[in-house]
Amino acid sequence: MTSTVPGAVAGGRLRLPAGRRSGAGYWLACLRVMLRFDLGRARSWAPMMVLIQILMGAGMAVMYGFFYPRITPAVALYISTGTPTLALVPLGFVLIPGIVGQDKTEGTYDFVWSLPVPRSAQAVSTFVLYTLLCLPGTVLALVVATWRYGLHLTVSPQLIPAVLVSALVAVSVGFGMALMIPDPSIANLIANTLIFVVLLFSPIVFPPANLPGWLFAVDRVLPFYNMAEVIRAGLTTGLVTDLVPCYLTLLGWLAAGWLMTTWVLGRRR
Amino acid sequence: MAGYASPLALPLPRGGAAHWVRSYWTLIRWHLAGLRMWLSLLATIQVLAGAGFIFGIALFFRHIPATAALFVCTGVPVINLVMVGLILGPQLVAEQKLKGSYEFTRSLPVPKTAAAGAWYTVCLLAGLPAVAVSLLLAEARYGIAFTVSPSIVPAVALTAFTGTMLGYGLGHAIPNPMTTRLITQLLIFAIFGYVPILFPAAQLPGWLVEVNGWLPFGHMAVIVRAGLTTGLVTGVAASYAIVAAWGALGVALSGWALGRRG
Repeated sequence: MTSTVPGAVAGGRLRLPAGRRSGAGYWLACLRVMLRFDLGRARSWAPMMVLIQILMGAGMAVMYGFFYPRITPAVALYISTGTPTLALVPLGFVLIPGIVGQDKTEGTYDFVWSLPVPRSAQAVSTFVLYTLLCLPGTVLALVVATWRYGLHLTVSPQLIPAVLVSALVAVSVGFGMALMIPDPSIANLIANTLIFVVLLFSPIVFPPANLPGWLFAVDRVLPFYNMAEVIRAGLTTGLVTDLVPCYLTLLGWLAAGWLMTTWVLGRRR
Repeated sequence: MAGYASPLALPLPRGGAAHWVRSYWTLIRWHLAGLRMWLSLLATIQVLAGAGFIFGIALFFRHIPATAALFVCTGVPVINLVMVGLILGPQLVAEQKLKGSYEFTRSLPVPKTAAAGAWYTVCLLAGLPAVAVSLLLAEARYGIAFTVSPSIVPAVALTAFTGTMLGYGLGHAIPNPMTTRLITQLLIFAIFGYVPILFPAAQLPGWLVEVNGWLPFGHMAVIVRAGLTTGLVTGVAASYAIVAAWGALGVALSGWALGRRG
């Protein structure tokens, strides 16, 4: 961080336009500057994040296979098409809260929020950066899973919006929650321990028919199953039928994540 | 010190068995007081996670095979036992390093072995309620009748000891808190999915079985399972030896990390 700050102060590449600090032009300039600032900070941990994501996504896809005495084609299809979701969920709900928690403990936000940049631009920059960082690991996890289970998936163009929306939901909700929970160690503890349970009870790598009705009703409201469904629809034909409620639920969670972020950022301390 | 008459005051001289016992007891109270919120939250989460696995594994199947249920139900207590010492212990030390309270804790005038012993006791105590609840839930959900033998006592004590000491060593030996967090996250991940704790070793590929033969975690499951069931596991003596050897390694690592000056 210290290496970036002097550049900003000494009129380096991170300089903001002079004059009135408002308007769309100024906001976009701020977003550009914040993206470079965040990217500079991310250099130290971004490769690690992609690596963890590959391990988590691909690793979990392989791991689920170990729980079955016999892997049938249906089991393999569900695990493989659930893999991208498996790669996105830990990133949004474990890794990002971890990073936010560390930033909080180190006092990074006190510095960032004091910059003469709209906080909305700061938040958007964070979301854009994390969402982009999600993508390589997700794609690689899918490649590993198809190789492991020897499947041929039919990739359709609707996979692109599906992955983008899902990644953005994971990032936004994870970031908003991490900002909301005051004690980072508690946020970390909850995230770490419950993520596996959440993944167990969500029909991501197995068909919803295995669940009791009431549990499936809960999963339809939570983001995880819906992420899996929209992504699965982009990888298979005929398995997923009605995507509208899935997308609507995901957009609802997106709004919730942004609301939480806005609420924390808008507060005065 | 004497002038303050604090309930946590230690007497002089600082040596001998009495000082050790007093330090040990004082540190247990110190941990329990300092971590009371943390530990109660942890106990709750452990119970929830254990219940989650026991009920959740059935969802993987239309009709869960009896062996799959038995392995999960006898594996969850193992995870409960090592979770505190191996996973959350190092994260706690990492957080102390970030906050700056680490140096203070290390400067306390207590023997290192008493500090380690107290931490082991706290970790064991924090894990046991979840173990009990997990076993009761397993019995209720799948109707499994466990045949508990006296060997469960050394199995539980040794499993918790090795887990705690490895975590203790890791937490103190790794300077960067972010690395600690990363390693513990990889560990928790591996323990859930790449170690034959929650499922039979036969479901893993051969090379992974080989690797696990050298690591302690699969053997922890063997010795705990031997205390809960009959006829399910073999080679228990070798497993005890391997888990104990890793425990000794954890002690050595902790001793090295805490003996350093810096």
